Amino acid sequence: MSIFLAILTYFAYVFIVLMYGIKLAKYVRMPTHLRWELYPVIHEEKLSYGGSYLEERNWWEKARKKRPFKGFFSLLKDYFTLSDYARRNFLYWIGLYPWHIGFILIITFHILCFFGAILIKWGIDVSPQSTDALGAFFYYLTLIAGVSSFVLGILGGIIVMLNRIFSRSLREFATRVNYFTYFFTIVVFFTGFYSWFFEDPYLTEYRHFWVGLISLDFRDVSLWTKIHIVVFDLFLIYLPFTRSLHYVTRFLAFFLIRWDDEPNLTGGKLEEKIRAQLERDVSWSAPHIIGKGKKWRELAGSNP
Amino acid sequence: MKIEDISKDTERLVELKKEDFMELPFPYNDKGSEPDIKELTDEQKRTLEATLDGICAIGMKKPESKEEEKELIKKFLSGLGKLLTPENNWTFLMPLHHSLEYCVKCQICNDYCPIYVASGKNEIYRPTYRSEVLRRIVDKYIKKKGKLRLKISGGDIELNWPLIARLGELAYRCTLCRRCAMACPLGVDNGLIAHEIRKLFSQELGIAPKELHELGTVQQLRVGSSTGITPKALSNIIQFMEDDIEEKTGRRIKIPVDKEGAEILLIHNAGEFLSWPENTEAFAILFDIAGIDWTLSSELAGYDAVNYGVWYDDVQLARVATRHVEIAKKLKVKKINVGECGHAHKAMIVVADRVLVGEMNIPRESSIPLLRDLVFSGKLKLNPQRNNFPVTLHDPCNMVRLMGIVNPQREILRKICPDFREMEPHGVDNYCCGGGSGFAIMQSMNFPDWRSSVSGRMKLKQILEVFKDVISPDIKKYVCAPCSNCKGQIRDLFNHFKVNERCGIFYGGLVELIVNALEDLKKPFIEWEWH
Repeated sequence: MSIFLAILTYFAYVFIVLMYGIKLAKYVRMPTHLRWELYPVIHEEKLSYGGSYLEERNWWEKARKKRPFKGFFSLLKDYFTLSDYARRNFLYWIGLYPWHIGFILIITFHILCFFGAILIKWGIDVSPQSTDALGAFFYYLTLIAGVSSFVLGILGGIIVMLNRIFSRSLREFATRVNYFTYFFTIVVFFTGFYSWFFEDPYLTEYRHFWVGLISLDFRDVSLWTKIHIVVFDLFLIYLPFTRSLHYVTRFLAFFLIRWDDEPNLTGGKLEEKIRAQLERDVSWSAPHIIGKGKKWRELAGSNP
Repeated sequence: MKIEDISKDTERLVELKKEDFMELPFPYNDKGSEPDIKELTDEQKRTLEATLDGICAIGMKKPESKEEEKELIKKFLSGLGKLLTPENNWTFLMPLHHSLEYCVKCQICNDYCPIYVASGKNEIYRPTYRSEVLRRIVDKYIKKKGKLRLKISGGDIELNWPLIARLGELAYRCTLCRRCAMACPLGVDNGLIAHEIRKLFSQELGIAPKELHELGTVQQLRVGSSTGITPKALSNIIQFMEDDIEEKTGRRIKIPVDKEGAEILLIHNAGEFLSWPENTEAFAILFDIAGIDWTLSSELAGYDAVNYGVWYDDVQLARVATRHVEIAKKLKVKKINVGECGHAHKAMIVVADRVLVGEMNIPRESSIPLLRDLVFSGKLKLNPQRNNFPVTLHDPCNMVRLMGIVNPQREILRKICPDFREMEPHGVDNYCCGGGSGFAIMQSMNFPDWRSSVSGRMKLKQILEVFKDVISPDIKKYVCAPCSNCKGQIRDLFNHFKVNERCGIFYGGLVELIVNALEDLKKPFIEWEWH
């Protein structure tokens, strides 16, 4: 069983990283698109009222002052507050917030277990009695992250599911898959909660499981911890088939689309990319186009 | 209403009832006295597709046989496939992919859509409705998810002609104002999906509203303007403008046309020449006083800044943009300056920016910052008291939320209009006039009624609210709309509700207010004549 558990865990992690990697590569490799930004654009100097450099005459002659990190930190902050949702639909946010924080914390929990395992391999005791401050710190941090994620995840999962069932507008657009996903997440958090509450109050088993994983010395764990690990692994395998990558693609959508106000200046890199797009073959077949065999460049210069 | 209901073979998917529409403030708080939306004639119902909501925007003909229907379905699917390839849709593939793949259906965007809210929250007008329909078609017919998988997932949909016809119409129940996109915490853009559906219909099926395509981009490229103005007619109009300016100001101005090497090529929406010549005259007056080196063009399409392609067809967008810069290049001007037209701003300055390369990439800018600099330059003797009447500003979505030109027009109004008042919300949070994305020029069948009753309703509400303390028809009020299409929509909206008669509200551009404030003008430039 311990070997099965280890293989499943290795597979789950490799699978999710690979699948997310493929999806992200596909996304970022999409061609340069036409400008389609929306204001306010976060790196703009005139952000406070949504203004842009186009408010200036001869804007192409002026140096643009961008604040590149502002967008990054703003999006990052929103991960922990979901403030857009809170502002626009507070009722929805009440369930969404604990649910999302539950996800963030459960991932943090597993990462902490991994690092805790490394500390143990280095000979540092990770427990409440540890004489090493780092060991004690990791112990408490892991415990807090784990327990909070289980509690918030269950609570949030139930609220978002009920929201989806009882709100007419949400229900009309929901599919069975949506409900299955809610149910699955509740099971993930619940199994974690159950194993903590009834079998492993200090959550040490996970850490030792990770010690086994990094040292290839696989160890058995108690029944409910085992169940939680299996369920969590299956959940990791399931995630790439959902819209869960929005955690990351949100960054891409904001930086590469909504805030992409980069002007095409003569001789610039962007111009090179556009030239390449204009050489693409077109096959639209409406009478005013009849694109087959023509390139975008040729069509742009033609008159039907 | 379920998503899959769109495939139902019924005469009409939803009934629009004015009792359901959003309440309006005084004096329009009695919906009973509101004009009805006209029913289509029996002949129109028999021949045209209007089974969505009884409104006909596109004028799409019903297929005459099952074979024709099958052929159209085949074409629709082939176009949808192309929409998802980099070769055919490099222009918008990434935004489309994102919006199809990463919507979590939280429905937050719905309440940000003025059409959905104004309609009384009609299910089919949700920004998410058409997107979800398209998403399900992509899943089933392009990604070819198996029947079993779709049954289990519950996302099945049946693709048939009623669905396609309704989806096409539904793409024209969105003004592409993208307020919904602004509200989405995940960067999903349901407005873009409406735009892409329009493209699929135009670029593959050859179906688009005739005002946008046949009488729009095609006519512009062939005749010179979507208004039908030919270069010869333009010459007569310019003569008229010079005479009119002399009559109004006592000054004879020679409007420069085709002046080689001028600093600025000014391109107006040609609708101004026909419907609001005072706007183009006002530009000429100001540029003359300020000694600006400028010119108009009389070349085909060089005197019409519109580019309807931005709403429905990327190829037509590229063709019109290319034509505009070719003219500027030929005239050897230093830059192109776009007059008061929101979509022309967006199309020429922003969207087409990634179509024009090398020597075609001639600098292009808005006229609004130039007007702001003129007003603050000291070259114009301005007396704000000449504009001492209530003025509000309508923000054209294309210029504001979609381009970030927000403040220059406000700086001008604050300086020259003592009773300037902001609508709520305004700036990048504004509401569309209801005529965006081509609606303002789409005059066929009963679409104009829908446009006034539904898509323009939120704007009317805002205007009535901002003037509620001066709503009497005896007090003249001015809605400043620095955009030709917005003006067209406001004109039709006001006609529909008789706003000028009942509330004394007038509309016009920004530049007219500047000229009206000129100290040494013998009589007011704004004549308050309804047109």
